[in-house]
Amino acid sequence: MDTFLLALVIGAMFSAQYALIALGFTLVFGILGVVNFAHGSMYMLGGYVAYWSVSTLGLPYPIAVAIAVLFTGLLGALIEILLVHRIVEDHLSTLILTLGVSLVIVTGVSLIFGHEAPQFTFPIAGSIPLGPAYMPLDRLIVMIVSGVAILAVYLLIFRSAFGRAVRALSIDQSIARTYGMNPRVLFAVTMALSSGLAALAGALVTPILSLSPHAGESVLLTAFVVVILGGLGSIIGATWAAVITGMIQSFAGIYVGGSLGTLLLFVLVIAVLTVRPSGLFGAPARGA
Amino acid sequence: MKKDMPYSVLQRERQFSGSDRVTLVALLLAAALPLLTSNILVQSVASQALIGFCGALAVHLMLRLGLLNFSVPGFMAVGGYAAAIAAEYGVQDLFALLGIAFSAPVVLAIPIGWIVLRLKGVYFVLVTYLLTEIVQLVIVETPSLTGGTNGLIGFPPTTFFGTELISGPAVYYTCYAAAIVALFVALWSTRSYGDIYDSQAHNETLAQSLGLDTARYKAQAFPVSAGVAGLGGFALVQLLITAHPLSFTAASSVNYIAYVLIGGAASLLGALLGTVVLVTAITQFSWSGEYSLGLFGLLLIFSVLFMRDGVVGVFTKIAHTIRGRNQLAYPATQGDPT
Repeated sequence: MDTFLLALVIGAMFSAQYALIALGFTLVFGILGVVNFAHGSMYMLGGYVAYWSVSTLGLPYPIAVAIAVLFTGLLGALIEILLVHRIVEDHLSTLILTLGVSLVIVTGVSLIFGHEAPQFTFPIAGSIPLGPAYMPLDRLIVMIVSGVAILAVYLLIFRSAFGRAVRALSIDQSIARTYGMNPRVLFAVTMALSSGLAALAGALVTPILSLSPHAGESVLLTAFVVVILGGLGSIIGATWAAVITGMIQSFAGIYVGGSLGTLLLFVLVIAVLTVRPSGLFGAPARGA
Repeated sequence: MKKDMPYSVLQRERQFSGSDRVTLVALLLAAALPLLTSNILVQSVASQALIGFCGALAVHLMLRLGLLNFSVPGFMAVGGYAAAIAAEYGVQDLFALLGIAFSAPVVLAIPIGWIVLRLKGVYFVLVTYLLTEIVQLVIVETPSLTGGTNGLIGFPPTTFFGTELISGPAVYYTCYAAAIVALFVALWSTRSYGDIYDSQAHNETLAQSLGLDTARYKAQAFPVSAGVAGLGGFALVQLLITAHPLSFTAASSVNYIAYVLIGGAASLLGALLGTVVLVTAITQFSWSGEYSLGLFGLLLIFSVLFMRDGVVGVFTKIAHTIRGRNQLAYPATQGDPT
């Protein structure tokens, strides 16, 4: 029973992280139609900016996280305005373009910070008892911040004028333009939001897990798994899929063991797709 | 057998296009490389280009159907490991190993294709990426068969009519054999069904309404693509003298896709040119050490923004410009009424 509860707690923590990572990815696909292969590198960059703000500028960790989100969000907007927007209609080309951007970011970070993992630790340690299990405080904070961020994104997309505008653009761009919506601005803001979410995840999670120039690769794979399972472009789907993925990884990790659990998860995703080719909550696929 | 093909397709099939001929001649000429230079570095880069060409052909075959395939390294691993395991069981003949490296991924791709080919667009892209990750995990989880994270090393060398292929030029020719077989398979596939594939890529619904069984052609192309990738995997294992999971990571699929897109996705010549340009560039970049990955990224960005039809597209534009100038310079040759 203790092991079961422990798996449940770890699963909840995984779920929150995965949801935060996958939300930005699915948001950009749903609205711009872009499979953003640079999403993992934005996560990694968020971690490095937070680390630099703490270690070099000596700023408190919460301010460092905010700087990471703002810096990476701004970079995301610039990438959209200067590069992605020129070919946004061509899904295959944007995929390759963001791949190129990802490689450039990874190389830039390697040149500035080196290939070795820096010493970046979460400022709060310890744990609190939660029934028979103990919950690490750092993970609990990550879970709470992730939950708040997910809720904020949900409200922004489904309860605000901005959200209505970007959803209208994703459904029919020409009609949305006729009503005065500017895709150039809205796409850039969406990309900034997505990159900022990835950076938030990176700044929160890398002090707990690890930070290296290639830290974004596994994160990108996680985002893939979650959004495929949930259905590309679906925010609700990504959230539910993050919970399913987090729980499977946690339970499989404890009861089955490391990579066999991951293998089980991947096979399950493919099995789900045989029944529902657009994921659990997804719309029919765009081409790429 | 092909009663559902439009008449124009029947007319054009099995004829080599100009770019196909250039590709074939270029690859045939590549056989002379070890005779022209004994430089080990040049032979090694050329071998890598031949392996990359197999991967690029595998990507090209599915891209002709409008499907971006990230599972190429996964099927390369299946082909490479199958040949290495067969060698451990005493199969050393080059032709037999080529057959195994081609057949094993084909057999595996048939049931996998039944599942993944139901997916469209981005779902297909992401699931094929996942497939390569699954192959990696299966390799790691089956150490008794694949050597797990250590890989397979020390398997007996490949032989050609009893001669062991272990010297530098011999390894080059092993890679060459894999590439030439891969090219002939790709030529057969694109010459026989290329127009059908193209019609599906441009408008699958229209192709279906014209009577094409699109599912059948996809199900046919996927195993062929997997087999071609398997040949590349065999060549890679021969070059490295080891079958290791890190040789076949999902991230490496980016390279094969980049070869095709930068060379030009519309033809086999594009796959060849893209491979030669990028493998050479990667070799040059690797001398710049830590900059190499970033330079590769910049090249991808530049190509996508400014060379949408790839290197072949640039050459075609230049050829059209020259032809246009010639026509302007000699207008009398174009039906002068006098």
